Formats: sequence, C-alpha cells, structure tokens
Amino acid sequence: MLPLSDLLIWSLAGVLFGALISWIPGFHIFNIMALLVAVFGVGELMPVKAFPFFAIGAIVAYAYVSAISSVYFSVADESAVFLLFPTQRYLLLGRGHEAVLLYLIGAVAGTLFLVLGLLFIFPKVLPPIYQATSPYITYFLVAIVVFMFMSEWPKEGDRGRTPGERLWLAWRQILGGIFVFFLSGILGFIVMNTNLLPTTSAYTRLTPMFIGFFGMSWVILNILSNPPMLEQKTDDRVESSLYNTLKASFGGALGGTIAAVYPIITGGMGALVAGHMTSQRGDDAFIISQGVNRVIYYVGAFTLLFLPNLRLTRGAAAWLVSSIYTPKSYSEYLAAVGVVLLSAGISFLFTYYLSRFIARSFNVVHIKKLSYVVAVTLVVISYLLTGPMGLAVLFVSTAIGMMAAAFNTRRSYCLGGLILPVLISMTGHTGYFMSLLGLG
Amino acid sequence: MRGFTHYISGLAAATFFGALVGDLRLGILIPVIAAAAAYFPDFVDFKFGKFLARRDYEIDPAPWDEKKHYAPKLVKISELSKENRYQFFAIEGTVEEILARGSGKVSYKVLREDGSEETVTESYNSIVFTLNDGTGKITVEAFGDDYEFFEEEFGKIEEGKEMLVFGYIDIDEDGSLKLVVSDAPHPQGIADTIAKAIEEAYSEGERIVKIHNIRLPGDVYRRFMVHLDPPKREVRVEMGPIVTPGGVAIGGDVPEYRKYGIAKVSVPFIKTYPKPTRIDSFSGPEIAFRKAEFKGKTVVKDRFLPWHHGFSHSLTMGVVIGLAVFAFFKLIGYEHATELALASMLGQWLHVFEDQLGFMGSNLLPPLTKDVVPGFKLGESGSGLTNFSTAWLMIAFMIWNFNRFTEPRAIPISDAKLLLLLAWPSIIGFGIAIAKSFKLRKEISELMDYYTNLEAFEEMEEVGGI
Repeated sequence: MLPLSDLLIWSLAGVLFGALISWIPGFHIFNIMALLVAVFGVGELMPVKAFPFFAIGAIVAYAYVSAISSVYFSVADESAVFLLFPTQRYLLLGRGHEAVLLYLIGAVAGTLFLVLGLLFIFPKVLPPIYQATSPYITYFLVAIVVFMFMSEWPKEGDRGRTPGERLWLAWRQILGGIFVFFLSGILGFIVMNTNLLPTTSAYTRLTPMFIGFFGMSWVILNILSNPPMLEQKTDDRVESSLYNTLKASFGGALGGTIAAVYPIITGGMGALVAGHMTSQRGDDAFIISQGVNRVIYYVGAFTLLFLPNLRLTRGAAAWLVSSIYTPKSYSEYLAAVGVVLLSAGISFLFTYYLSRFIARSFNVVHIKKLSYVVAVTLVVISYLLTGPMGLAVLFVSTAIGMMAAAFNTRRSYCLGGLILPVLISMTGHTGYFMSLLGLG
Repeated sequence: MRGFTHYISGLAAATFFGALVGDLRLGILIPVIAAAAAYFPDFVDFKFGKFLARRDYEIDPAPWDEKKHYAPKLVKISELSKENRYQFFAIEGTVEEILARGSGKVSYKVLREDGSEETVTESYNSIVFTLNDGTGKITVEAFGDDYEFFEEEFGKIEEGKEMLVFGYIDIDEDGSLKLVVSDAPHPQGIADTIAKAIEEAYSEGERIVKIHNIRLPGDVYRRFMVHLDPPKREVRVEMGPIVTPGGVAIGGDVPEYRKYGIAKVSVPFIKTYPKPTRIDSFSGPEIAFRKAEFKGKTVVKDRFLPWHHGFSHSLTMGVVIGLAVFAFFKLIGYEHATELALASMLGQWLHVFEDQLGFMGSNLLPPLTKDVVPGFKLGESGSGLTNFSTAWLMIAFMIWNFNRFTEPRAIPISDAKLLLLLAWPSIIGFGIAIAKSFKLRKEISELMDYYTNLEAFEEMEEVGGI
C-alpha cells in the first residue's frame, strides 16, 4: 500500500479535482476522469496505486458538489409544459441555497450510512446475498424496465373533452416514453456493437451518448428556456421534519445500495424502486433522499472495488481504475473508508460555501451564457475522447434527450441506451438484433 | 398499497415455483409476466378506467390555459357567461371607466378549528372599474387584501391603462358578470356543485363528480379541501395555500373572506372516511355519490375513485388472468405455462389481498358478490410503513426462494432461519402498523356511531326530512 502521506496527498488532490469541476452543469466526473486518463495517462502523472484513492476523493467530491449544478444551473422556463424538478422549484422560489442544504443533509446521512455499512455490514452481508441473487440480475433489470413503463403516471388527460381524447392525451405521453427508450436503446446498441467509434475509445465509447442524453440536452434546455435569474436567499434554514429526514434517508440509502450493488441499475432506477417501497412524498424528502442516494450510489459502488471478499466493479470509474490498478488488501479497504470520510468533510464545506457564494451572486453571470461555454466544452470533450463520430453520437443522443423533455416523460428512459443493449446481450440475442438492424 | 408493492409481490410470486426460478437462471425472463399480472389491476384502472369513466359533473375551479397548461386561462370577455361563476380566469384589457374608489368595513363569517362560526369585521379599501378587451366590457372589483396586492402590482389605476387582471367571475346584483380580483377561484362554486350532486343522487341513484385541481405557473398548485359534514348537512370547501407537487406549502394563503364555500344539502348523506378530501398536485379525484341504505334509512354514501377497485381488483379477475396467461403461453409452447399461470394468478390475488388491508376494499368475487367488501383498515394506501413492510417481505421471499432452489445453496443455513433473518424488518413493521391501526379504527367507529346517533338524525329531519 502507499505510504500514508502519499495516500493523503493523492486523495486530497482527487477531492480538489472533483470539487473544481463538479459544480459545472453537464460535467460528469466519470467523463472528466476518462479524459484525464486518455490525455495524460496515469503511470507518469501519479503512482498507479494512488489512482484508486485519487478517484475516490474525486467521486466523493462529485457526489457532494454536483448539488450546485443540479440546483442552480438547471432552471426551466415556467411557461413550458415541462414539469419541474423539486430543486428547480426551490430555485424559482429563491430558495436554491435551502435546496443545497437539504441535499447536504442527505449527503451527510448517506456518508454515515455508507461508512457504517462498509465497516460493519457489507463485508459480511453483501457476499452471501450477492451470491444468492446475482444469477437473477436480468430478472430484476427487466422487471424494473417493465415497471417503469407500466407505472408512468399520465400527467395529462384529465381535461380532455371526451373519454377518447382523455385516453389519447394520457397515452401520448406514455407512448412517447416507450419511443424514447427504444430509440436510446437502438443508439446504445449501435455504439456498443459496431466500430462506429474508434477502438482506442474502448473505455469511453458510451461517454458522448451519455453527455448527449443527460448533459447536453440539459444545457440546451437552459439556453432555450432562458430562465429568470431570481434573487436567492442565503439563510441557513431548512423546512423539513425529523420524520421526513429519517424516512428520506432510509429510502435514499435503500435505493442507493440497490444501484451500487447491482450492475446496470442506476441511481435513478434505485431511487424509483426505493421511493415506491417507502412511499415517499414531499419535496424536502425527495431532495434529502437524492443526497443519500447519490453518495451511496456513486461512492458506494466505487468502494465495492476495494472490498477484498467481493471486489465488484461497478460504474465507469471503477472500470477505468480497475484497468490500471485494483486494490487488494483489507488495509486498502479501510484506508478507502477513511478517505471517504475525509473527502466528505471537505466536500461538505466546499459545497456549503460555494452555495452561499453562488446564492449571493446568482444573477451576476446569466445561466444562458454559462450554458454556451459548457456546451462548447462538452463538444470538445466528446471530440477528444471519441473523434468526429463521437460528435455524431453526441448530436443524436442530445436530440433523444430533448425528445424526452418534449414528450413530458421521464428522462430516465434515455437509460435505454445502456439497458436495452445489455439485456439483448445478456439474453444472447445480439447476433439476431445485429442482422435485424442490417449491421451484421 | 403503492404500485411497486404489488409489482414486487408478483415478482416474488414467480419465485415460489422452482421451474420458473430455473428458467430465470437460464436467462429466460418470461416469469416477469407474473409481476405485470400483479400490477395489472392498477394499470387497467389508472391507464384506462380513469379516462373512460363517466362524469356527471366536472368541477374545474381554474381552467387551464390551453397553451401553457396552467391557470389562469386568458379569456375574452365575450366568452364568459354565468356558467363561469366562481371560476378563476385572466383578462387582458384597457381600463375604460373608474366607477368607484372607496373604503369601508366588511363583515364576513369564518370557521374556527372547532367548526363554530365567527363574524369578523375589517376595514377595506376598494376600487371598481370597467375593463374593455375589444370583445366586450366587464366590471372589475378589488377590495380588502386583494386591493392592497392589486395596487402594489399596478400602481394607481387610471382610465386608459392597459392591464392583465386575474380573479374569479361573480354575478352582480343586477345579473351582470363581474371579475373579482383574486389569486384563486372562489370555493363556493365547488361546494354548490357537490351539494347539487348529492341531492340528485338521492333521487336518481348515482352521480359522479370529477374535481379538477388548480395548477398555477411554476408547477405549483393551489390546495383546497372538501369537507362533507353529514350531521350539519353541509358541504364545506376550504381554499388552502399554494403547494409544490411534493405537498410543501409555500405560502399564498387566501384571505379569510374568500377562503370558505359552504353549501347546504337537503338530503341525508354519510361520509365513509373520517378525513376531508385534499386536492392539490397530480390530478383531482372523482367521487361517486350513491343512494344507499344505512341503519334502515335511505342516505347518500360517498365512494372515492369509483372506477378503482372494481372487477380489475377481484379474485375472479385473477382466475381470468391465470387462464389467459396459460392459454397464450401454452399456445406459444412455453414449457412452464402452468406454473406461470399459477404465479400470475397468485400475483394478482396478492394485489387484491394487499389492497384489502387498506380502506377502500374490493368487490372480491363478482359476479357472485355485487358490492365492495370494506378493507381491514390496517393503514392508508400511501403508508410508508405498510408499503415497506410488504415490499421487504417480498424481497425476503425472493432471496429465500432463490437460495432454496439453488444447489449448492449460496447461503448455507436452514430455510426457516434464513427466512427469519431476512423477514424481521417486515415483522416489526407490520406489528407497528397493526398497533397504529387501532386508533384509526376507533376514529371511524366513532364517526359511524355519530351518524347513527338518533338525536343527530332527528335534528337533521327537522332541517330537511329523511
């Protein structure tokens, strides 16, 4: 293992790196880490054994600091038919800082759940449960997808003039969601199974697609909606209750754990399952549970790489790191737990003060201008990682992401880009679909 | 119970069949049909039944602007009629003539927490003017708190000024329409329509009322509550604060003088659930008012979401689903069609049973049974405790079944011990839910006792006669 001083230095460097880029809308730590490795390499820039600790610091920082971009830089125009996220509503009410504080409450709870879990529960409970259930992962995965479709709540239809019109308005949205899922799925299938993108982009071939689905489409919506930059309160005050906080923390931890342990199941899907299981209601509870969920999903999933008796590789960062160095000993596992705590403390303070700063100066730089800069940066990242064809993928996936918003349906249907090809592969139908699409 | 709880029950039902678990291990995912079957009753009701159901009365306190999909709707004066009384609209026009500016005192009744009335007198400032939008003109009136807001928003109102005014439509003493400046519809219209539906149900048998919610700019909602008060024979509607879709109140309380709408009902009715109906985000409810016998007397009974928990939520439907699944999968040559059909039927039956733990109940065996069997009242459908306890139990069953159908077993301990280790959170959860349900049952029992209280009924007879 690395000497403690080196371990601390590289972990702190990871936190600093993660904190500096995670507040920017559309940036994802996995993409930036991939870019870092692609451009600079690891062996020369830092010792290979330090990379997992650098990554854990960066991921913890991302789990905390990304609250800033999702609260302050994703506002939508109220005249649109799109439904707003709870954080966007808080921002429109001048309570963006409160939303960040609620998220931080959740993130701290998530960190505590995670550290306790890593120390006392995961090493003993996870291996047997995982052993018993992992052969059935496709069952869970397909079940969640079917449930996503079946449970889509029609947001319109109530006010149709005739029963037929009401039915059509309701199903227009549902069918739109199904369309987005399959369109994303076809794109994902092509990206994963053809040589559309260069082989040198093996670890980052999905990057432009995800930037398009969730990053670029979000940034373009910011530009199109031209939201008002409203004055924000900076009081350190949150409206919630202990009951809501505990319930939301529990639900968030449940969803985050499911997503962290099982492959392909993302944080959003885990949150959907856990939200239904614990019957969550309330914007405050939602934001708190998001904080818990994201910390456990991102950090927990990555930390499983350190667990010697399980050593699961979950998430793009874990795959990237494991291709360079996989931690092997319990001392590295315990050190990782320590780094999680240390990084969480620093990230908490960074997020808190950054939120106060942004709340105070919120209307200095208009989000539209910032979004133009981010859009250009995202295009550059995609080009550097995957070349000109990556830009084509970025363009198509952005259009699909925008389509989800236009249909007023779940953005998470874009996960079809990952889920559908994986399901096709897991059930052994890749060849069949290749010939169906005229690709093989 | 929530949809996912039912769904996961279907997932678990499939794992009780070794043959299906074997298929899942081989990557054959057909058993997920059992989960879809378990969710099917809600899918049918909420994706089809809800939209196809009959509506005798449609209460829309604040019609949506068709482009923006929220209220208030921008209307032309010529489009308005007496039918729009108490509805919330916006009108854009020019101030034609100032009819009056004044101040004075206004008295109005407010309801206290205990249900008693209190008369409040307040000073007010007011303005009355005519607004012309090119299609006609309407009298606009602002007073009290609304006047303060109005003046703050528009400054001094002068003739020739162009403005966008929002408020509710009312009818003046001379029968002409006027727009009363406000930030919400007046609740009286809602109360009047519900009262009318109850009275018609008493003579005609059934009336179904659809109540729309009030969506405002910024994806927030004006909450309002409908109280049915059988002993007083009143429908009371209370306009509440603005809330987010998550139910968090963000202010915007309406002034007391337009907070309540009260309508008297001339026929006896009873309410089967001890809480008022709250309308805010998502969509408004449908309520059926049906003529029924209660303790030997003819009354009108309410039924929340009449299109829900019908045939789709019956054990009979489970048999139908089982037969359909068997027929289809046998036809396509699926080897374990019998097990899948049984799992699907079991999944659907679990849904019916889980819902029976709540309040609404279901018509269990149509056509043998004709009406709903009341639920066990263990908890409300949205209860986190009962939902989690049930869902967790199903997860426990799944892990348990996966383990016992796998050789060598991934978790090498006895089946009984493993099930107990996995299921203890659910056992504790159900224990707490049962303990809590006693309080609610007592409340409902007291409510029903109150209805059957002879004195209360006699008093009612004096009012309207049973």
